[in-house]
Order: sequence, then C-alpha cells, then structure tokens
Amino acid sequence: MRTRAALAAGGALALVVGLSACTENTDGNSGIDPNRQSSGVIATDPKDSLGPAPEVPGAVKGGTLTILRETKISHLDPQRIYNFVGLNTAPLFARFLTTWKDDGKGKVTLVGDLAETPGVNVNNDCKVWEFKIKSGVKFEDGSPITSKEIAYGIARSFNPDLAGGPTYIQEWLADTAAFDTKWDFKANKTSLPPGLTTPDDKTLRFEFAKPHCDLPFAASLPSTAPLPPAKDTGVDLDAAPFASGPYKLTKNTAGVELVFEKNEHWDPATDPVRHQYPDKFVWQFGPDATAQTDRIITDGADAATLGWNGVATSRVAKVSADGTLKGRTLLEPTPSANRLTINTQRVTDLTVRQALNYAIDREGLIKTLGGDYVASPMTTLMPPSTLGFKSFDVYPAGKNGDIEKAKATLAGKTPELVLVISDDSGDQEIGTQLKNNLEKAGFKITVRTTPSDSKLDETKKKNNQWDLYLDSWAADWPSGAAILPVLFDGRNIKPEGNSNTSFINNDAINAEFDRVLGMDPAKQADEWAKIDERIMKELAPAVPLYADVAFYIHGTKVGGLYIDSIFGYPAFTRAFVKQ
Amino acid sequence: MLRFLIKRLLLGALTLFAVSLVAFGMFFMLPRDAVATMCEKNCNAERLDRMRDELGLNDPLFDQYTGYMKGIFVGRDLGSAQGGRCDAPCLGYSYTNGEEVTDIFARVIPVTLSIVIPAAILWLGLGIGLGMLSALKRGTVFDRLAIGFSLTGASMQLYFVGGILLIVFVYTLKILPPPRYVSLWENPLDWAAGLVLAWMALAFLFSAVYARLSRAQMLETLAEDYVRTARAKGLTKSKAYGRHALRAAITPIVTIAGLDVGGALGGTVITETTFGIQGLGRTAVEAVRLGDLSTIMATVLISAVFIVVANIVVDLLYAVIDPRVRLS
Repeated sequence: MRTRAALAAGGALALVVGLSACTENTDGNSGIDPNRQSSGVIATDPKDSLGPAPEVPGAVKGGTLTILRETKISHLDPQRIYNFVGLNTAPLFARFLTTWKDDGKGKVTLVGDLAETPGVNVNNDCKVWEFKIKSGVKFEDGSPITSKEIAYGIARSFNPDLAGGPTYIQEWLADTAAFDTKWDFKANKTSLPPGLTTPDDKTLRFEFAKPHCDLPFAASLPSTAPLPPAKDTGVDLDAAPFASGPYKLTKNTAGVELVFEKNEHWDPATDPVRHQYPDKFVWQFGPDATAQTDRIITDGADAATLGWNGVATSRVAKVSADGTLKGRTLLEPTPSANRLTINTQRVTDLTVRQALNYAIDREGLIKTLGGDYVASPMTTLMPPSTLGFKSFDVYPAGKNGDIEKAKATLAGKTPELVLVISDDSGDQEIGTQLKNNLEKAGFKITVRTTPSDSKLDETKKKNNQWDLYLDSWAADWPSGAAILPVLFDGRNIKPEGNSNTSFINNDAINAEFDRVLGMDPAKQADEWAKIDERIMKELAPAVPLYADVAFYIHGTKVGGLYIDSIFGYPAFTRAFVKQ
Repeated sequence: MLRFLIKRLLLGALTLFAVSLVAFGMFFMLPRDAVATMCEKNCNAERLDRMRDELGLNDPLFDQYTGYMKGIFVGRDLGSAQGGRCDAPCLGYSYTNGEEVTDIFARVIPVTLSIVIPAAILWLGLGIGLGMLSALKRGTVFDRLAIGFSLTGASMQLYFVGGILLIVFVYTLKILPPPRYVSLWENPLDWAAGLVLAWMALAFLFSAVYARLSRAQMLETLAEDYVRTARAKGLTKSKAYGRHALRAAITPIVTIAGLDVGGALGGTVITETTFGIQGLGRTAVEAVRLGDLSTIMATVLISAVFIVVANIVVDLLYAVIDPRVRLS
C-alpha cells in the first residue's frame, strides 16, 4: 500500500495529468461519471479462472505496438516490481498466482492465474490458504511451472538484495515486518520460508500465524510470479526476466528500448485474461509527455503508439476539443484518491472538521488542478473503484460547497488553521484556492510551505505542527481492507512514518476494522462502504476531494487498450494493432 | 615543457582530489536519505538500518571514501545487493537504475557526444564560413543577410528553435522520423536521421556567434599592414586571405570553440529534453531529482576530469599556436 507521493519520490510516478507544475483550465465536460461504481467479486466458480480469454471484438494478430515513456522502467524483476508502469507491463511477460478479470469500467473479478481458483480458505479462518496449480502452464523455455517455482519466487522476495517489491506476503509468513531477519534467504536457498509449503507439484500452501483474509488479493501482485532456482540471477534478473507470460523480453537496451516478442510456450487455454495479438511490444524511453502527445497527434509513424505519460497538460484542451483526437483517447477516473487530511490531534472539535467538509469547493479546486480531465470529485474516503463502493455524501453542499451551512456548523467560531503545502508551483495554486475557499466560511487559514522532498515524511510524523494537508492514497487492491484500516486504525500510530495522518484513534471504529478484517474477503465489500460512511459521519477526519483522472492518447492503429480498474493505468492484455 | 606538464598534471590531480572530497561531503549533507529512497515503501527503522549496513553506509566516513576511491582505480566488491564485483573504474551502483554507474555512463556519454560533436562541426563550419564571406563581401546584400541570420540565431532559445524544427520536419512535413538515438555503429543512417534536428538547432544557435566573431576578426585582420603588403607583393586574393588573414583571424575563435563545445556538453540537458533523447544531461538531472547519489557523485567527478583535462590541453595549445607564450 502506498501513496502516490511516495512513489514520486521513488521516481515511479508516470502520472497521468496530475499535479504538474503547469496546469491549464479546460472547460467543457469530460463526460466522466464521478460515481462510477465498481462491481467486483472474487470468482467462486473455477470456470472463471479457465482460459482462453474471450476474443476482443475487431482484434487481429500481428504488428508492433510501441509505448513511449519519458524514463526507463525501474524494475523488470517480478519480485521487485511495485510501480504502476511495472505493474501493468509485468502481465505481458509474467504470470501470477491470481489475477483480475477487468472490463476497464470497474467490473472486476479476481480469478486464478497460475492457480485454478483464487485460493481456498482451508479452515475459513484466513490462516491456512491453499492454491492448486493449473496443468499446462510453462516458462519461456517450455519447462513446466509447478508449485515449486512459484514458492521459490516468493522465497526470493525475502532476499534483502532484491528490495523494492511489495512485502505483504513476506510479512504475513514471517509474522513480522522484519521478515528478512526471521528467515535468511541466502543461507536457506534450498528450503522455503516459514509457513510456505509445496505438498506436491500442484499444491501451494500458506500457513499464517494470524488471519490474513487479503491473501488472494496480495497474490495478484507480480511478486508471486514463478522462477526456477537455476534461472535466478539475483539483481541481474532485472535486466533479463525469465518469462511465463505471452511475451518474452528479447532485447533490452538499458534506458533506451525494450522489445518483447511472442513466447511460443504460453498456452492461451490456461490463461483467463491475456491475449497475444501483436507480434511485438516495444518500449521506447526518452520523449516527455508533450513530445509523446505531439507525435501521437501527428500519427503517421506513430499510428501504433501509446504515450505512457498521458496527454500533456498543455495539450489537454486541444485533444479534448477535437472529436477525431478524442476518439482515440482513454479517459477514466483512477483509484488514486486525494483528500484534505485534518490532524485530529490539533483540530479536536468535530464541528470544525464537519464545517470544513461543508465549506469545500470541489469544483473550484478541480479547476485549479486543470479541470475534469485531471480530477474527478469525491465525497467518500474510498474511491468509487473499490469493491462494494457506495456513493454517499455525509455533508451535502453541492459542487461549490455550502458556505452558509459551514458557518452555521461553526456557530460563530473562527478557527485558525495551518495548511501546509509543498513548494511545487502547482501546490502553491492549490494552497491559495483552499485558503480563499475556506476563509469565506469563517476559517482563518495560514498557508505554510515546506520542501516537496520532505513534505510527505513530515506530515507522517505524529507531532507535526500542522492542521491540514493534502494526502493521496492508491491501494494495491480495490478492497476497503487496503484503505480504511491503513488510513484510520489508531492502534498503529507511531512517532513517524504514519499512514494514519489524521491520527484518529477511535475504539468503536477499530473494533469494526477487526470484525470486518476477520470476514471472508468475498463478504467484506459491503461492510467497508458502511464503515466509510460511519467514519465520515462520526469522526470527519478528512475532507474527501477528488480521484485522479487518467487521460491517454494513442495512434489510430491501436486497439484493445483500456485503463485498468485496479491501478488506473493503461493495460496491455487485450491490446492489438489494426492492420 | 615536460616540467610544465608534470606540474599541471599534479595540480590537476590535486583539484580532482579536492572535488572528490567535496562531492563525497555532499553525499552526507543532502537533505534526502538515499536509503529511504531505495527502501521505498513498508520501510521501518530497523530495515533501513540493515540496508545501511549492507551498503556500508554505517562505516566510518574515511573508510567509505577510501573504498570509493579504491573502486575507481582497482575495482571493488559492492556486495550482492549491488551486483557483486565492480571492476575498475568502478563508480558505484545506482539503485534507481539497477546497474553500475560505469555502465550508465558508458551508455549515455556516446549519446551526448553524438549530439554535440557533429553539431559543433556544423556550427563552426557554418559560422566561420558565413563570417569570412560576409567580411570579404562587406556591405553587400549577402553581408546584411548573413548578419541578420546570425542576429536571429543569437537571440533564440534552443527549446524554441527545437520546437519549431520538430513541428515543421516531424509533425507537419513528416520527412524526418521523431528524434531518437540509434548507435552510429548499429545504423549510421538512423543515427543521423534521429539526431539531425538537434544538430540543426544547435548549429543555428551557436553559429550565430561565430559568424559575427569571425566577421569582426577577419575585418580587423584584413586591415592589417601585412595583409596589404602580401597583396602588394603580388599574392593572389585567395592566398593572401586564405593563408595569412584567415589563420590569424581564427586563433581566438578556436579558443572560444573549445569553451563552447565544453559548455554544450555540459548544457546538453536542454537539447536532450527538447528532443526527448536520454543522454548525460538528463541522466544527471534525473539523478539529482531522485537523490541517486552514486550517479551524482560520478557526474561531478567526470565533469571535473573534463574541465581539468581541457584546461591542460588549452594551456598546451596556447604554446603551440602562439610562440610568444612560453611554458615555464
């Protein structure tokens, strides 16, 4: 789980058209439905996990699909992949224990990928999980994939040399955050971490000390990709991963180009989601968002190209106004949710926090950000792409806020609040917008600026001296379990490094978290939506603001691309090149 | 001469040593914790500390410095987290790129050289040629046009000229492919096609200064007595101007050209960004943005080596070009 800002620090942020330094207002309606609801499920019928994936209408085989990106992809070793570009490239060359069937419009189903089902909760206590591995799944050299190679992949993620990837499964198996001290991979290469066993070639078994009902979700991350021990080249695997998916890496000119070609040993009959339409996928690194957009608008040599860095902010008006160009764009809200966090240790008065919620002018804020091709308003803590999401607004105040209602809630008080923003120029504009907006309702807002490098770390400190700050959260899977307890369970508050930046700690809510986390994951979805509403009503620890919007353009010959509902970035599993 | 050279080399080495100390000091003064950047998410204090141990960042400063310097001259073992054995010249391991810094530089330096060197040949040829011709045709329409052209070039910015060239040749006429770097050895035609716009933009901007400078120099030289004497002695126009005047006029231009090529190599980030090519400049800027300290450190050291070596060469060249300069 992570925030986007943290990823930016890691250089992973290939953001859409988010908070860039230069923004441009675009009027006109993007046509995004801000209340698009996710209707996700976990597949209970093993048939859902079978291949082949249904044919994409109009899809043809052949051609080369090119993807332009400003900077190289930091990791290609599946056990180290954790940024969005890696997460959406990995399915081309790697398969995982589970994966998502996704219509690109929020309808998602968790299915088995290498596994026959998304996992069996053996004792219904989420402590023992079993996965049966499919027959006929193979590596790029034709050797079969068994539970042993999947277990080895998970084992090597304990190797401290291979930092960077998600750590959920390691921490759950070792029952400690310091998992690599509990089990030393380098000293035990031929054995497996505690709790992970392979009773036979077809069975993979997890035994946890505590219940972890989210395992089927966590298993959809690339860190469950298989690897034969003989093919483990340590840190060098990043340059030459060993493929199990429909494509294999055939050329890697570091920092310049990646070429993926068809893996003839991949069997579509075993794969419920991937296709193998183009002959090649080529990644080219270098051009920035503007150059990418201009090249793709020109089409011609770039007719079969996608710009990974999204429609450049300076080109949004042009692209959105031109019907033919707009026809080859992808535009969807993403699961990346932004909120104005209220530090409840300092702002202890609930009515003040409620008044902030009434006063907020979301439309004004979104205009400042660059319009509705950049952000889509939200009134809930969980983004609409979360399983079981229900649209509600505890503090209804219209698009522009209800100043009178806010004043009435404050009942004559004029709270003095400190809003901290980063020193990025984009943030400065947002600071001014929020100050002007909130002061109309009677708040007195002091805007403080802090270096953007350290802002995130500072706001995560328990004793920070600020009342309001902008936060964002993009969960690793669309379950409330990956959002609400992480952001609002007060029992985990530490001196620094907190995700619970509202520093809320409410016994009743904490108890609710425990209750729902203990439920079967398929049954949790509706409960999270109820807790979301309850937190907003009883605690108001933040002002939900907006979800980032993904806006991409591709050439005229590209088909089958979609914005995935899990991460909110372009996905390639159904892509094809029109001939 | 030899004594001078030894003295300059020793001084150069001393400068590099001082630069390495300062750059290493920066490593500790930067506000960002490099390890925290590597560890990214789910990091706790213990894990951070173990990573620091693994990377040797908990060792005494002196040991770290000597280890780094040893790596440059004889190579060193970086540990399995950083790809194991790193042969000399080892500049460390870049976590953000997942490769040895030496490999990164081996990749991006040819890119930057491929942009700057052909561009420099173009701008020198174009600039000096125009300047000389307009000096010889002083007051004519050609002279005015050439000076107008150079004035336009001198007052433009690279990102503007680059943008216009892209719009014209790539997006509108579509006669050139989008800029990209292909190795010269792999395909010379693609190499040239991918970089020609960058050369044109740089040549347009830089040649302006040379045109004006060489025109002024040439005019000054043409007015010298010895040129008149040469002509009076019966030398043809081309011999008198080409052999005598041009040679005298070009000396200061060569000196400036050295500085400009150096400046263009250092300032290549704007060219690279305008044309979306990943070379030395963008690598350095990216490293600063991400707090990739091994790469920053190596960039500082390599730039210092360039400058120190260039200075020694220029000093030596002075003596060769101008006999009045004595090396002692």
